[in-house]
Amino acid sequence: MLAGFLVIAYSLPFAIGIYTENVFFDRQWLADLATVVLNGVMQGGVYAMFAVGLTMIFGVMRIINVAHGEMVMLGAYLSWMSFFWLGFDPLLAMVFTLPIAFGLGWMIQKFLLNAVVGGPELTPLLMTFGLGLAMIYAVEAVFTTDFKSIPYAPDSFQLTETIVVGKSRLISFVMALVISVGVFMFLKKHRIGKAIRATSQNADVAMVCGINIYGIYMVTSGISAALAVAGGVLVSIQFGFNPETGIIYTLQAFAIIVLGGRGHYIGAMIGGVMLAVMESLISFMLPNGTALVEIAAYGLMIFVLLIRPRGLMGPKTD
Amino acid sequence: MSTRDNWRNLGFLAGWVVLLLFVPPTFSIYIRSFFMFLMMYVILSLSWNIISGYTGYISFGHVVFYGIGTYATAILVVDYGWHWIMAVAASGLVGAIFAILIGYPVLRLKGPYFAIAMLGAAEGTRVIAINWVSLTHGADGIAYPNIENSFETYIAMLVLMVIAVIVAYWVGHSRFGIRLNAIREDEIAAESLGVNTTFYKMAALVLSAIFPAMAGGIQGYKTLYIEPESEFFILITIYMKLFAMFGGKGTVIGPVLGAFILYSVQEYTWIRFPTAHLITFGIFIILVARFMPRGLIGFAVDRGWARKGMVH
Amino acid sequence: MAETNEIALQVKDLKKHFGGIKAVDGCSFDLPKGKISGLIGPNGSGKTTIFNLMTGVLGADSGEVVYRGENIVNLRPYQVFNKGISRTFQITRIYREMTVFENMLSASSMRVPESEAREQAEKLMEFVTLTPLRGEYGGNLSYGQQKLLEFARALMTDPEIILLDEPAAGVNRTLLQNLLAHIHHLQEEEGKTILIIEHDMNVIMNHCEKIFVMDYGVKIAEGLPDEIQNNEYVIEAYFGHK
Repeated sequence: MLAGFLVIAYSLPFAIGIYTENVFFDRQWLADLATVVLNGVMQGGVYAMFAVGLTMIFGVMRIINVAHGEMVMLGAYLSWMSFFWLGFDPLLAMVFTLPIAFGLGWMIQKFLLNAVVGGPELTPLLMTFGLGLAMIYAVEAVFTTDFKSIPYAPDSFQLTETIVVGKSRLISFVMALVISVGVFMFLKKHRIGKAIRATSQNADVAMVCGINIYGIYMVTSGISAALAVAGGVLVSIQFGFNPETGIIYTLQAFAIIVLGGRGHYIGAMIGGVMLAVMESLISFMLPNGTALVEIAAYGLMIFVLLIRPRGLMGPKTD
Repeated sequence: MSTRDNWRNLGFLAGWVVLLLFVPPTFSIYIRSFFMFLMMYVILSLSWNIISGYTGYISFGHVVFYGIGTYATAILVVDYGWHWIMAVAASGLVGAIFAILIGYPVLRLKGPYFAIAMLGAAEGTRVIAINWVSLTHGADGIAYPNIENSFETYIAMLVLMVIAVIVAYWVGHSRFGIRLNAIREDEIAAESLGVNTTFYKMAALVLSAIFPAMAGGIQGYKTLYIEPESEFFILITIYMKLFAMFGGKGTVIGPVLGAFILYSVQEYTWIRFPTAHLITFGIFIILVARFMPRGLIGFAVDRGWARKGMVH
Repeated sequence: MAETNEIALQVKDLKKHFGGIKAVDGCSFDLPKGKISGLIGPNGSGKTTIFNLMTGVLGADSGEVVYRGENIVNLRPYQVFNKGISRTFQITRIYREMTVFENMLSASSMRVPESEAREQAEKLMEFVTLTPLRGEYGGNLSYGQQKLLEFARALMTDPEIILLDEPAAGVNRTLLQNLLAHIHHLQEEEGKTILIIEHDMNVIMNHCEKIFVMDYGVKIAEGLPDEIQNNEYVIEAYFGHK
């Protein structure tokens, strides 16, 4: 059923495109399509990376952090500040922006969320919502609602005769890949990473085995925040942003983890790429498509929740 | 709740209405407009409370009904030449139909998934409102013919508030409301004990959609200009939610009290500290959710100042 | 009470599989009308699943539950309830942030005027001695009181059949005697049909007229208490092979 739905969902832009005569199937158009899909895949890598942060928190604590997108937004501003105020390369600046983010996530967990893990599930939802709100307007107080952007590697690579990829996008994709692989290796090999996975399997058993689960919660939150900020940095070198863009990232990340299966890392990676490709198709083929890309996340999210609540890779029971 | 209590509470409401009727002739247009928006937020908080307070389906996107209402009224008045009161009434119907359409899928989701699906529905509708130019005039918005209407809209909002309060009072003191509560507490048990949960949830959502749609319509007509970003502004959802939570969700008086107190506070701080007051609101949501989940009324109940439960 | 052999409800070849697990695998029995019957069996033998299938909480893979000449399997739970079959849960499911009185009133039929429903609620609270706690939140009651509340709540619509899932579990002796007296009262004075799932053999053997034994999702025996006590299949199911 989900497969059927996805086939329909992905063919919809084509159908509308044909109807509105934006689809041609000639050589040039197909090359453009290839470019668009490739760009979508690369964008998907970045989405996937910050969605993994959201899915980690959900997997370990069963909390949905609706301030996650605001953390991405904050990352974009950290990147902007390091570029314009300190004169650092935004990517190089991750050496200190990511630790800052980790510390922030750690503190949010310690002072806000640790007390409500395992309680009624709507309490942390409301709390992170309030947190997101405070973050939006704190940033707005300093930077106003103007859109900001960073002029970073604006030129592009000519891959083949016809397929072009933006340089900043390619760099973002590679960085996202490196960071994601790093996090996976950490979860797989490192002692703390293993403890995180054990806690998400079963917190009670983990506690009995001598794991300090509240410590694990704080590390998880820290990593999640760092992933979100890394996502923000990689977004900031490609697109403009303002304090209110965070909500879009929250919804995208949520759509991705719903699609991939909540708490599932590989699922989040696949979901990220699928969402981004969908968005690219919409913006490419629909008239006025760029304004409508947001619909992709909401549509995918709601339909997947209804048709197959566990998503592509999620466990059967939840 | 005895009949005597009902009459006493009705008298209380009548007293308030009389006081509010004195506002337009006595005070400036600015004060009049302040009270009109205050009444609007009373309506919005009471409405949000029906689906989220009583039924326990926390909506993060309730502004969608408000936005739909402002648009329905504006389109009917400006593009089709309807009388504004007819258009506002029709907006209630539009809101109800819209609630049924989105309720059918999203009410099958539970807890956080419902909340975020509603957020998605609101954001998605905003994007559609921007892009469906032939219907909504797109990002340019819709302007009403310029007239001074602060008195009519004030009275309209007052009437709507009285109806909303009476409906909320009925929900809060009837078996209908108790059944919504039962869904909040344990949906499986409620269903096993004779509550057609699908029907009741839908009824709650429709009720909680009609009033914001109509209030939105009146507000748009008062403001004389609407555009997608401000009519589907997420802050409006936040206000409804925060006012109802602060006063005490799942009660009648809670959202009214919350709206009165916090809307006045926000009006005061808004002028003096435009950005800081929103940061404070964010922090305030955290504190209320963490330390006062049942609001002022819950606080009073815990200390024995008010009776537990809604029906006695 | 006059000896009758009428049947209140028939379970016919009911099946429910969860993945590879056959929770209920072709179970049939006839529930005698106006009597207290017991449903016993080792843990995981499918007793609660049967309840869930009978009340529509779960949909069945196949089979029927015939009540008043109508198959009620796969109806929604509220429809089953409105036909006159009421239940309690193994782990109580009272509404914790609603008062005792509101818990009662929530289960009243909307076809009955509110004043009548209120009277019924007062009467039943009196019946289970919860009247002094009528304004207290359900979540503040002791576990035994919650069991009583759930029991009383299940009687709000004056149902014909009452399904009780482990009413004795976690209830102290005095309260249990009370509860059993109430159950007998319902059967003797009001002619209700009652089916009890229970692990407490004293309750089952001393209070049920007919007993059904389940194991691995099927009925392995039925009969009077003495017959069941000496049935070798039952002994085998409970204690394994000798």
